[in-house]
Amino acid sequence: MFLKKSQLVTSIVGLLVILTVFVAGCSNTTKDQENTSDKDKPKVLTFSWSGDIGDLNPHTYFPNQWFSQAMVYEPLVYYGEGGEIQPWLAESWDVSKDGKEYVFHLREDVKFSDGSPFNAAIVKKNFDTVLANAEQHEWMELINQIKSTEVVDESTFKLNLHKPYYPTLQELTYIRPLRFVGEGAFPDSQNTFEGLKSPIGTGPWVLSEYKENEEAIFTRNEQYWGTKPKVDKVVVKVIPDGESRVLAFEKKEIDLIFGNGVISQDSFQFLKDSGKYETKISEPTATRALLFNTNREAIKDIKLRSALQHAFNKQAVIDNIFYGNEKKADTLFAPMLPYTNISVNPYEYDVEKAKQLLDEAGWKQIKGKPFREKDGETLQLELLFISTDNIQKAIAEFIQGDFRKLGIDIKLTSQEEETFWTTAYQGDFDLLFTASWGVPFDPHSYLSAITKSSENGSPDYKALLGLPAKKEIDEKIKEVLLSTDEEKRKMLYEDILTTLHEQAVYLPISYQSNVAVYHKNISGINFLPQEYEVPFTSINVK
Amino acid sequence: MGWFIVKRLTSLIPILFGISLITFILLHLTPGDPAIAYLRASHIPPTDEAVAALRVELGLDKPLYAQYVEWLGKAVQLDLGMSYLSKKSVWDEIMLHFFPTVQLTFASCILIVVISLPIGMISAIFKGKLVDQLSRIIAFVSVSMPAFWFGFLLIYFLSVKLDLFPVLGRGTFAHLVLPSLTLSFAYIGTYTRLLRASMLENLNEPFVMYARARGLRGRLIVSRHVLKKSLLPVLTGLGMSFGNMLSGVVIVETVFAWPGMGQLFVTSILNRDYPMIQGCLLFMGVIFVVCNLLVDIAYSFLDPRIRWEGEK
Repeated sequence: MFLKKSQLVTSIVGLLVILTVFVAGCSNTTKDQENTSDKDKPKVLTFSWSGDIGDLNPHTYFPNQWFSQAMVYEPLVYYGEGGEIQPWLAESWDVSKDGKEYVFHLREDVKFSDGSPFNAAIVKKNFDTVLANAEQHEWMELINQIKSTEVVDESTFKLNLHKPYYPTLQELTYIRPLRFVGEGAFPDSQNTFEGLKSPIGTGPWVLSEYKENEEAIFTRNEQYWGTKPKVDKVVVKVIPDGESRVLAFEKKEIDLIFGNGVISQDSFQFLKDSGKYETKISEPTATRALLFNTNREAIKDIKLRSALQHAFNKQAVIDNIFYGNEKKADTLFAPMLPYTNISVNPYEYDVEKAKQLLDEAGWKQIKGKPFREKDGETLQLELLFISTDNIQKAIAEFIQGDFRKLGIDIKLTSQEEETFWTTAYQGDFDLLFTASWGVPFDPHSYLSAITKSSENGSPDYKALLGLPAKKEIDEKIKEVLLSTDEEKRKMLYEDILTTLHEQAVYLPISYQSNVAVYHKNISGINFLPQEYEVPFTSINVK
Repeated sequence: MGWFIVKRLTSLIPILFGISLITFILLHLTPGDPAIAYLRASHIPPTDEAVAALRVELGLDKPLYAQYVEWLGKAVQLDLGMSYLSKKSVWDEIMLHFFPTVQLTFASCILIVVISLPIGMISAIFKGKLVDQLSRIIAFVSVSMPAFWFGFLLIYFLSVKLDLFPVLGRGTFAHLVLPSLTLSFAYIGTYTRLLRASMLENLNEPFVMYARARGLRGRLIVSRHVLKKSLLPVLTGLGMSFGNMLSGVVIVETVFAWPGMGQLFVTSILNRDYPMIQGCLLFMGVIFVVCNLLVDIAYSFLDPRIRWEGEK
């Protein structure tokens, strides 16, 4: 023996002491910190996001996040309930009869957070710097339609368009790129695309502290012209993982979980069932759907597409995968969006009808074989999904099992996200998971994108090419975007959306929603019309 | 010794060149376009025009060899370029993420040494006894338990239930405990067993018997002679693990929202951020070579034979 028993005990005790000191030393640190904050502490709301907020520039994109850009920068007009356009930095506006001139009368009591004035000159300067980088914003049709910008007087700004583009006001509500930074934010080159000197906006919040990839602290803008926020500070912590977010929430390290897909459906249900927290689900924001590739021989047949629509048990997916937390979708766009309340018959779940349609399409069940065949070919369809997306995976597996009963062989192909999109753009799939763009982009921006003929366009363009009516649909979409007559616009939208529905090229599954989970001392959580805005202004902490 | 270090550092040049060339080729063989990845991350529909404009901006429209030569030319001048995604300097981003990783790595290494050395030593000395059996169980658990699960368990019990530590983030010393414990746990089992095996081997060496015959006390033999010699394989392993941890540990970093190298690297791969991937890989290459070099230097202090050979 090299050591005595007593020495063994001593060493084990020693080890334990070291660990205890380590643990105790650390936990005291937290306690001390908590003790320092007492009664007079400012009202702080702690929120979390999956990534860094970026450089907080309203004229650029990733890594900027929508929610944080919306905290600091404001639009001329605001997207209200049901798509109603409301005054914001512009008190009122006039549109010329030909729909090509928009005159905005700006609010006069608005100041940027550095105290500098908000006026027509700074509006023009912001518009012009965005237009100077027009190729970066090519996706937004309004940018392409702007002919010139004018300062009429101190508080009047005029926008001249090439064509009467009807969604002009709607696109002005977007969180980027047409929002305004103060004079002091412009870099020396005056080109904001290269970065800002500092994030100066007119919004209710001012960025006061920032640690990249860790946290950002926003303080209430005391000079704000509108309703002032109720809390003094909003802390945004970067938490990449959904499960960690839930644990941090349970520990009260964060006060609010908000957004779409920020925690898993299981976690949401768990927090809801615990009864310890408040939970809310918003009205539909976007549609989760399957896209059919009409270029593939089998899917070209409308009967097969209709059969798949009737064969899909949406309610079972909603009950079992979404725990009833998402609403069943019957049309590509939720009916409360502008122009989308169309009268069509939804495809009800009807297995017998699906079988009958499959038979009519020539796909016959052959005795002794598990899958239907037509001219010696088995009915096999490839469903493409993102490997890391648990919801897509669960739905895909459900479809595979359910369709098998009808004699349809669903081949599941999972790919890493970037590869998934490359395959999707190339059109190498039969069925693909897709989603509409949400408020305020639906329906006009989504429809506009599916008409863009391009090698790398949206997967929808290529996938719909097999439709005999594709050209006609595209022309109608282009026409509706430039129509100035409200009645005609309604008619055209009805026509387009009805055709897409009747052609059965999209299989709408459910309407996605934002979820909110918060502690009982938090109040004022209301969902705002735009999906990516978080209602920080109305939130209060008791 | 000086010459040895210079020689080893010079070997970095071909290694780094090789790494950069291989990754460049592999990156361009992987499906996925950085331009489309950026547009998607920005929620911009990747139309033809948008992709083409961005490809020109990022320099992706040039032929492959020209892209590589241009990148290499800058890299030689220590300019690793700009990240496609964040539009920030790759070097600055790496430095920003490297410090938290260094912090985590050092804390974990201390825990590994403090926990696994005594356990390994005790279980070698009391071979086959209860304490040895216990250490074997701990080792099995440590090696087979997935890090993310252990991390969540720690958070759930020590943080949510017992309120001893913060759940996640960086800042105080307390923030460091759970992530470093999670990270070190998987290594503790390995090093306990490694040290135990190495000590058992050395305890049967003739020099031990001779020392005992000389009447030296057991504790002295173990601490002064056996342990020192048994540490050699542990040190080799630790050197590799140290390099490994320094290049980032994705799972632990993600679970604890620790903004380190692992997260930076994985995000850049998922987004096909070529300059960032290249930069991270080069940086990791340097770290591995330097860690190996440090281990070799430490070796020569622990084992005089190596030092003498070097001097000859």
